[in-house]
Amino acid sequence: MGPISLIALTLAALLFSAGGILVGKLFNKGSKNLQKGEAYECGIPTKTSPWHQFNVGYYLFALLFLIFDVELVFLYPWAVVVKKVGVTALVEIMVFIFILFMGFLYAHKKGALKWM
Amino acid sequence: METVPLTHILFVSTALFCIGMYGLFTRRNLITMLMAIELILNSVNINFVAFNKYLYPYKLDGIFFVIFIITIAAAEAAVAIAIIINQYRTHQSIDVEDATELKF
Amino acid sequence: MNALIFSAVSGVIMMFSSFLLNNKNSVRVLAHVLLLATIIANIFELRGISFFHIDTRGMLEFDRFALLFTLVANVCTFAFFLLSSRDLEKIGNHYSDYFSLLFFILAGIVVSSSFKSLLMLFLGIEILSIPLYILTGSDKRNLKSNEASLKYFLMGSFSTGLMLMGIALIYGATGTFQTGITVAEKVPVLLITGMMLLLFSMSFKVSAAPFHFWTPDVYDGAPTVVTSFMATVVKAAGFIAFMRLFAEEFGSIRPEWKLLVGIVAAVTLFIGNITAVFQQSVKRMLAYSSISQAGFMMLAIYSLSNDAKEGLILYAAAYSLATIGIFAVLVRMKDYTFEGFNGFAKQQPFLAGILVVFLLSLAGIPLTAGFLSKFYMLKATIDGGSLALAIFAVLMAAVSVYYYFRLIQSMYFKTGNATISGTTTGFKYTLAALAGITILLGIFPNLLTNWLYF
Repeated sequence: MGPISLIALTLAALLFSAGGILVGKLFNKGSKNLQKGEAYECGIPTKTSPWHQFNVGYYLFALLFLIFDVELVFLYPWAVVVKKVGVTALVEIMVFIFILFMGFLYAHKKGALKWM
Repeated sequence: METVPLTHILFVSTALFCIGMYGLFTRRNLITMLMAIELILNSVNINFVAFNKYLYPYKLDGIFFVIFIITIAAAEAAVAIAIIINQYRTHQSIDVEDATELKF
Repeated sequence: MNALIFSAVSGVIMMFSSFLLNNKNSVRVLAHVLLLATIIANIFELRGISFFHIDTRGMLEFDRFALLFTLVANVCTFAFFLLSSRDLEKIGNHYSDYFSLLFFILAGIVVSSSFKSLLMLFLGIEILSIPLYILTGSDKRNLKSNEASLKYFLMGSFSTGLMLMGIALIYGATGTFQTGITVAEKVPVLLITGMMLLLFSMSFKVSAAPFHFWTPDVYDGAPTVVTSFMATVVKAAGFIAFMRLFAEEFGSIRPEWKLLVGIVAAVTLFIGNITAVFQQSVKRMLAYSSISQAGFMMLAIYSLSNDAKEGLILYAAAYSLATIGIFAVLVRMKDYTFEGFNGFAKQQPFLAGILVVFLLSLAGIPLTAGFLSKFYMLKATIDGGSLALAIFAVLMAAVSVYYYFRLIQSMYFKTGNATISGTTTGFKYTLAALAGITILLGIFPNLLTNWLYF
């Protein structure tokens, strides 16, 4: 084991992927139809271009998700020490969640969660 | 097993920082500029974690700082995207060059 | 701690006030009452009575300096509420949210003025900046406001990145976020680099040259009410954080940064004053004047003595009160240019007289608070070992007299029809009270600075 193995692995990976593409090119008959150029070759045909302008409501949801999702990261260090610290930790996380909940309630009251 | 020395990690984080800086100054698309800012913040995260792991492994200060940076960065990104959407609504473009009201 | 918790809770209450109260007036009254409660709670803590006992693990320290500044900031905000809360409601529909954002900024001010750990510095500065980005762009239909908030956001987050990098390097060099580092004979390079990055980012936040270029545009583009708050209370808070950072964290490596801070102060004074001379709009002139006043406040960081501490608090109070007063009148003017003030004294002799007091205070004429605070700064600078810097500052203060007096000139000695709307009696008396405080502090500064000691 050494640098040789790494190089060998890289070469093997390159060969494998290049070989796959090469074989595909060689034996491809080249069918052409309307569905071929689409992003998804199955399912319902798409109506418009995917670079369509989205409703701003989507962004509102995305922003709310972003914020509340990331705030959750504080729960991980808390979960590690909760047994050691005991009741204090429970109360403190309750305060934290309560503050988050106030934010959520505010967003809800403002109608940010209403779909369209 | 050999470990990666600290300097290599610092090199990566400095490179990211410089890429972010470069992106912020040269790009004109607001979303790309936002991504450049995120790059800067993430390079700092790498720095914190690396310093913590290599130099002061008995405490977790640096890692907790990273958690705070991540959350603040999310809040900043939310505000930034709100500003950018507003900009798009008024200017029909997210190119900073089109924001010319304040040039004197 | 009292002020922090009170203002944060007030912010949350204000968030929900628009659902609970369906009347603009009651929302406004609620905001005033909550702020008054915060001020009273803070005075209690200054007297040694703290309502909350929370273990901050040494990350926050509410010493007298921080508490006194919090009091000054809260009182200035109260004056701002009294004078401009009606104008705040004119920005848009979400009037209760503006109040709640202002309360969150106040919470950020408390954190950033009483930090003991770099983590708290970062959090405080961010809690203070993020609501400001929103407030700057709160006039959603106005293109200028949009662009100002965009510019402010880009610059602000860039400087945040610099600050974080600085903190990371300091952490690498010392292994702790607590302020008050001790260094051996040789100062590590990492520490110096981190210190420089922090210096740059804090200069960004307080708009000291050469990092001031965003200031005039942002102050000009933001709704005038918001500018009034941003240019006074928030900027002063930035300086308090700056001062604490350099006094406590980098106090032991002072020879390394003293010259640099001196240069930054001199350049800021020069650029702010010289550019302010050429402005045609009073709003932009005030933006540049805020840069030049920032130069004076930088002198406090240069000298870092007891005088400088007292002087900075006094300066923050004098500058904030005067600028809030001028902006409160400016918001109600129809025309923001100097010509818009022509003949103002004929129509509103009372208001014009009060404006003169504020302008004299900003220019640093004796018997006003502005003079004494500048005097404290100069004294501290000379004690700090640089006569040349003090002389330069005096020269620049003389330049500043030109553009402040230009406003007085157009009010009193030019004919025109200045139009101002919505001057109620209450508004006039509040302004008069502010002018009274400005003169009172100019004669008895001890009224304020004594709070630091007993």
